[in-house]
Amino acid sequence: MNLYEEFKALNKRLIRGEAVPFFRAPGRKEDHRISPHDDRPLHYPRIGIYNGAGASHSWMWFVEIFDGMGFYDLVFLDERAVRTGGLEGLDVLAVSGGDTFAIAEALGREGARRLSAFIRGGGLYLGSCAGAYLPLHSSKAHLKEFNYVRAKISNLTAALPDARCLREKFCTPYGCSFVFHPVRETLELTPSGVIPFEGIGSFLAPLYGGPPMVPLDGVEVLATYSGFTDKTLFLVDKDTARNTVLHKAAAVRKTLGAGHLYLFGPHFEHPGFPIANQLLAEVIYWEAGRERPLGRTDEKGPQARTLLRNVKREVSNARIVAAGLETMPVQWKIGNKVYDPTKIRVFLEAVWKRLRRLERRKALRLVETQENRTVVSAARVASILRDMRRDMKGEGVSPQKAAELFRALNQTCTFFLESYFSAELERFMEEPLE
Amino acid sequence: MEYLSSDKVGIIDLATREIQEEDLDEELVKEKIGGAGITQALYNRFEDEDPVVLGAGLLCGTLVPASALGVMTAKSPVTGKMCHVPLTLDAGVELKYSGFDYIVIKGTASEPIYLWIHDGIADVEDAKDLWGKDVWASTDYVRETMGDDLIQVLAIGEAGESGSEIAQVCINYWASADRMGFGNLLGKKKVKLIALRGMGLLEIAEPEEMIDACQALLTEVKSGAFAGKKGIGELATAIGEEDLGDWIAPLVHRHSACFNTPFASNTFVFLDEDPSKVEESAVPEPGFLLTDIYGLLGLKGLGLSAADACGILKACAKSGVDPAAVAELCEKSQKKDPEEIKGSLLDLKGPVESVGQGPFSPWAPQKPLSKEFGLPEDGSEDSTWWMRRQGVAYIFGIHPIFALMSPALSEEKLIELANIGTDLDFAAETLDQVISEITG
Amino acid sequence: MGIKIDPLKCTACMACELACGYHRDDAFAFLSSCIVPYRAREKKNYFGVILKEEDSLVVARPEGLEINKIGEEQDPEKEADASAKPMLLREACDLCEDMEGGPMCIKFCPVDAISVD
Repeated sequence: MNLYEEFKALNKRLIRGEAVPFFRAPGRKEDHRISPHDDRPLHYPRIGIYNGAGASHSWMWFVEIFDGMGFYDLVFLDERAVRTGGLEGLDVLAVSGGDTFAIAEALGREGARRLSAFIRGGGLYLGSCAGAYLPLHSSKAHLKEFNYVRAKISNLTAALPDARCLREKFCTPYGCSFVFHPVRETLELTPSGVIPFEGIGSFLAPLYGGPPMVPLDGVEVLATYSGFTDKTLFLVDKDTARNTVLHKAAAVRKTLGAGHLYLFGPHFEHPGFPIANQLLAEVIYWEAGRERPLGRTDEKGPQARTLLRNVKREVSNARIVAAGLETMPVQWKIGNKVYDPTKIRVFLEAVWKRLRRLERRKALRLVETQENRTVVSAARVASILRDMRRDMKGEGVSPQKAAELFRALNQTCTFFLESYFSAELERFMEEPLE
Repeated sequence: MEYLSSDKVGIIDLATREIQEEDLDEELVKEKIGGAGITQALYNRFEDEDPVVLGAGLLCGTLVPASALGVMTAKSPVTGKMCHVPLTLDAGVELKYSGFDYIVIKGTASEPIYLWIHDGIADVEDAKDLWGKDVWASTDYVRETMGDDLIQVLAIGEAGESGSEIAQVCINYWASADRMGFGNLLGKKKVKLIALRGMGLLEIAEPEEMIDACQALLTEVKSGAFAGKKGIGELATAIGEEDLGDWIAPLVHRHSACFNTPFASNTFVFLDEDPSKVEESAVPEPGFLLTDIYGLLGLKGLGLSAADACGILKACAKSGVDPAAVAELCEKSQKKDPEEIKGSLLDLKGPVESVGQGPFSPWAPQKPLSKEFGLPEDGSEDSTWWMRRQGVAYIFGIHPIFALMSPALSEEKLIELANIGTDLDFAAETLDQVISEITG
Repeated sequence: MGIKIDPLKCTACMACELACGYHRDDAFAFLSSCIVPYRAREKKNYFGVILKEEDSLVVARPEGLEINKIGEEQDPEKEADASAKPMLLREACDLCEDMEGGPMCIKFCPVDAISVD
């Protein structure tokens, strides 16, 4: 059994209400108690994933690892959902990469208030990359509503070093200064020995613009950036990179009321990094142990196969156009983030492979909360893509159209994944234990 | 059907526009192998509904050398007999990866339609904006509408729409191997075109063994009679028409191959551009791809210049008519003026001798193209041999012309590859049986 | 050390694309291949080969080789074409280092248009 399957097996026990007060995490020699001070059993968590305004595509990485590990009780929230009570009932909120300013602006004061209440009430905040920058102290508009974690970042400067490559991803303006990104791709991290970041040696995680942090009061360091690898991409000279990144905090924890914030500079949720993924799962079990009744009622859909085929039709159309777009040069700036058309395929492939998986099932269960919404949304994606292809041959694609496309892609994914995870959760509950 | 397959048969009813899907029955494959073996079985099953069956050879779309072939099986409206049109270039491989192994198109549509086959979805689309367009404009339209230039299109032109007996179904912009009037057949059914695109994946029963076997076979194939040779000129030489190569040489741009086929049998000639230009031409339609040796030879026989002959071939492909039939009819009626010929394409009427009377298209030369097959010099066994050889090609999905060039692609080898690929334990007797069924 | 393509020898047969696809997926498939014959200009008979490498994109055009460093800005005047920044989602060529006998594309090209530098 591999790591993901082991977590899945544990989750299968939890979802049946089995009381597991501690667990043996894959790859560990010893059992973990949830907390040295209590005997709370583990609970199957309800996890919210933010994919609203400002989120890029890396929230899909959370989807991948949660799907793989059997965390099927997932809720997808846009900024409106956060502002209007969507956080209630969640154990975890995961915020991944994107445009930090846009996220802060979209959530606004009300979103910040809701988020604060959620964490203080015992909720767990997992912030990765942009999600890590968000709650760090700042005086800037919108960001200042989210000042929950007192830590500095070492990649803020008024005197920008020279970028050697990837100029469009190198830096973001921050008032009169810049947040710059000295390195990208795989880095080596070393755990600090704070539970659950103990009992393991150095491990790898990918950095795509997240913060190297310098913690202040009340912030615990969980892991530091300890080295570069042969896959590390240097955007500046090595000395600057070393001085900016190495030995700074890559993962930190802050207690807020009854809850916690865990901030990660690199993307611990990237599916190619199993140890980082494992640590995330352990953090969830460690912190998200609230008792809460499980139960989602879903009707079996008699038209499941028709729905599946109709979704597949539109996603196939979109995928065909998107694959052809890969041989055209184009890049767009949406807000503060530069976007690549290849990212289109990330969304489409995530839906496609799950469609194929569902197709192969003998007994298919798939419903929509609103009829045909996934099909309509996917058809919109295909239509925008075809327009864009025509635009590319002529004047070029407008950033507005690109933004429209990514919104439609996001929406298609969200609608589909809601149906998919709802079906998976039910199936998981009914499947026999091995 | 688990391996080298999408495990899906699509059945399209043109009148009701309903699509049914079935799994590809493994027992059917064990019995009929693939390609024409299975398209014929499906034709027989739906015979009363006048079906057109599309399918790919068992090994089509793999790393087996020359595994380019798809097949279109139906009753020819010209001969009244069931026969098979080979689908080459990249149409066969696209069909294999389209998400369907076989597609049955039955009945007649009430209004012009086209089929959009993609990733295992068969869509029947309204073709009222397409009917009346020539083949080139139709292919452009579909690629533009669906948003991808790699869509493979089987299209009819005005000739097929108007009931011409020499109407040909074309591949993208080029002449196909259709000598059986399938253009007319699709026109009668009001099917303007069939568009194919898929990004599928074929599992292999014994992957490493398969790759090793394919590689060993390719090494053997590459050392054969056509090593280092390219183009329709070389093909002409192989059938005794040595001067064709020189005749078209001033127009030749580049040669290209059908999918994974070691001999590049297609030659592009530039008619409105300098053929020595390697950069992308600014002229949108600078020339034509020569895919049909007999069409070209037929027009050469009228005494035309290479440029005029190729110009007529381009016009044939736009109108969707069989160029070999055109050449034959022009010779009979003594037409030699290129403009007159182009203007008369839709009015030409048969009968023509060049029509395919047997199960397989006479687009492929009807004799071995390599002495290595060891057939008698007097050609006394050519006909029987050719029939069997084409049968093998249409079943396994091997390029019908390349099959005539390469003895290395033997029946034993193809059976062995089929077994490694699918784990279905085919025997030589099965192949004999299927060949005898399809050759009648 | 890298893959070298002779674009004028190429016949656009796609054997290399399928061979590399096999290397990536252990099945017959085209979608993950890092070497792709560019065949979208069919009426003009303009075709070449694109290869995704670690930090660059090799475009073997019939008129000559073009190498685009990933991350660099491209000439905005140049027509949108099979160049700059495509195929970034695909894995870079690894010369089939885990396979015996070297790169699959070289093994399966029927006209020897590919070699290793």
